[in-house]
Amino acid sequence: MTPLDILVAAITGTAAPRIPVFCNLLDQGARELGMTQREYYRKGEHVAEGQLKMNRRFGHDNVWSLFYVGKEAEFFGCDNILYAEDGSPNVGDYVIKSWDDIAKLQVPADITAQPAWAETATCLKILREEVGATQPICAYLTASTSMPALLMGMDKWMELLMTGPADLRDHLLDLCSQFFQQEVAAYRAAGANVLVYSTPFGTHYFVGKKRFESFSMPWMKRDLAPGGVGGIVYYCGMAPFNEVIPAVMDELDIAIHYVSPLADLAEAKRIIESRRRQDGAAYLTCGVIDDIQLIKWTPDEVRAEVRRMCEIGKPGGHFLFGTGVMPMAIPEANIKVMLEAAFEYGALS
Amino acid sequence: MLERIIKEYNEAVFETDKDAAFEVVNAALANGLSAEDVVFKVVIPAVEEMMSDITRDPDANLAQHFMTAQIAAEVTEKMLLKFAHPPEIIGRVVIGTAAGDLHSLGKRIVMGCLKALMVEVLDLGVNVPAEKFVAEAVHYGADVIAISAMMVHTATGENGARKVRALLKEQGLEDKVKIVVGGAPYRFDNELYKTVGADGWAADGIAAGKMIVDLIRAGKTS
Repeated sequence: MTPLDILVAAITGTAAPRIPVFCNLLDQGARELGMTQREYYRKGEHVAEGQLKMNRRFGHDNVWSLFYVGKEAEFFGCDNILYAEDGSPNVGDYVIKSWDDIAKLQVPADITAQPAWAETATCLKILREEVGATQPICAYLTASTSMPALLMGMDKWMELLMTGPADLRDHLLDLCSQFFQQEVAAYRAAGANVLVYSTPFGTHYFVGKKRFESFSMPWMKRDLAPGGVGGIVYYCGMAPFNEVIPAVMDELDIAIHYVSPLADLAEAKRIIESRRRQDGAAYLTCGVIDDIQLIKWTPDEVRAEVRRMCEIGKPGGHFLFGTGVMPMAIPEANIKVMLEAAFEYGALS
Repeated sequence: MLERIIKEYNEAVFETDKDAAFEVVNAALANGLSAEDVVFKVVIPAVEEMMSDITRDPDANLAQHFMTAQIAAEVTEKMLLKFAHPPEIIGRVVIGTAAGDLHSLGKRIVMGCLKALMVEVLDLGVNVPAEKFVAEAVHYGADVIAISAMMVHTATGENGARKVRALLKEQGLEDKVKIVVGGAPYRFDNELYKTVGADGWAADGIAAGKMIVDLIRAGKTS
């Protein structure tokens, strides 16, 4: 079976030799190609080549079309990205510096006609041609409720959200939701089939239950309604979100959950299974290793943690082993040990 | 009366309702409560209540942290103008995000708490070089340098807290100025703060306020 077949089997609960094993290697691509981050992320060819080379070397199941998270801000006019050689590029200057700037903000009529999309499209074209038939291609999409943080900074966004004029806040969210709807359609059309919906405000860690229901949920519905939830993965930026899984499954119909390493994996799996117990239902619990600990864990500790996660996740199937954003400080030896252990303990024979 | 005021203020803060919190404060002043009592008997206990809520209640969330700190800082700032005598300042802190890091939410929550807890704070902004942290700490007479970092490379890299520690050592300032850190990487690895040379860390912005105050007090009594 191909990695794509294995993923589909895990989601649908059909037979497969092992669980899917995802490893999110992003910035490591520059090192792989011997380039600076700035040089690497300048071209879609580089990102695709980096993904393919790392994929061949480590043998994990997925490839990524993500450059860096701040790239989405470029569609709104951000032209200052702060590069680092030991970590992810960051938005270097926010396009919204005062609330007055929100009125000037525009969503491009067609994001695929923008320069910011061109290199992503190139990357996706190469990935689709090279491995599209056999491997899942991941994309990263920021929810409307979190996009303002990339445009104005999280504290300014929190201030507007909590104390600012509702009409201004809703106008900004409307623009961000329009952008999301275009973006998800563009990624699907370009061949991405695992669509990671990054929605930190979709958890009680960021906002309480009341605000989750009155604010986060309606905007998530709006983001997802036009394109549906096919391939959508619920992800809250590594924040725990077990308590919202029932609402996310019932109200948004999202069946794939990328569980925080800080959350109780067994509890998450129970909640997801209880909602989708009927035969033939498609769903997936993604167990995510604490990849900050991977920086310092010994190989034995890495293996023990992977084993623990697989023992929780494998019974009953519908389980994927995954990682967070894999900091560059993780020793390559630990990446290899982790993946070897995931294939070994994730075997389903 | 005080009990009722505290209850209503705490409810407003818990509900992240800034307008309601100010209504409670204004009504309290109109009913004869002093500005000093508003700060020391209402606002600071509310911050402390939120600290214990965070420990007890896993549902205490970032929005509540943010609003607790903002409301507390704003109320305190307004009340200080009405104080009969200037309050005793516990200490001074310079705060910023590590070099290469623009994530400012945690810093803002910590600043709000510290202001309400009678700590003077100098905000150095975001993407702050280690040299600037140290130079400003010396110039400001700071007891603590607070460094926020949300990404692994800015938390553990050579240009963040590690470099601040090296500079303090080089300049013979380690006894005078403490380093505290906060941000997501420290939540995932609770021992990480030691490896970057910090004297303390906190899991969230509200808890950081108390930890910094404790560190300042310990420094002044040692």
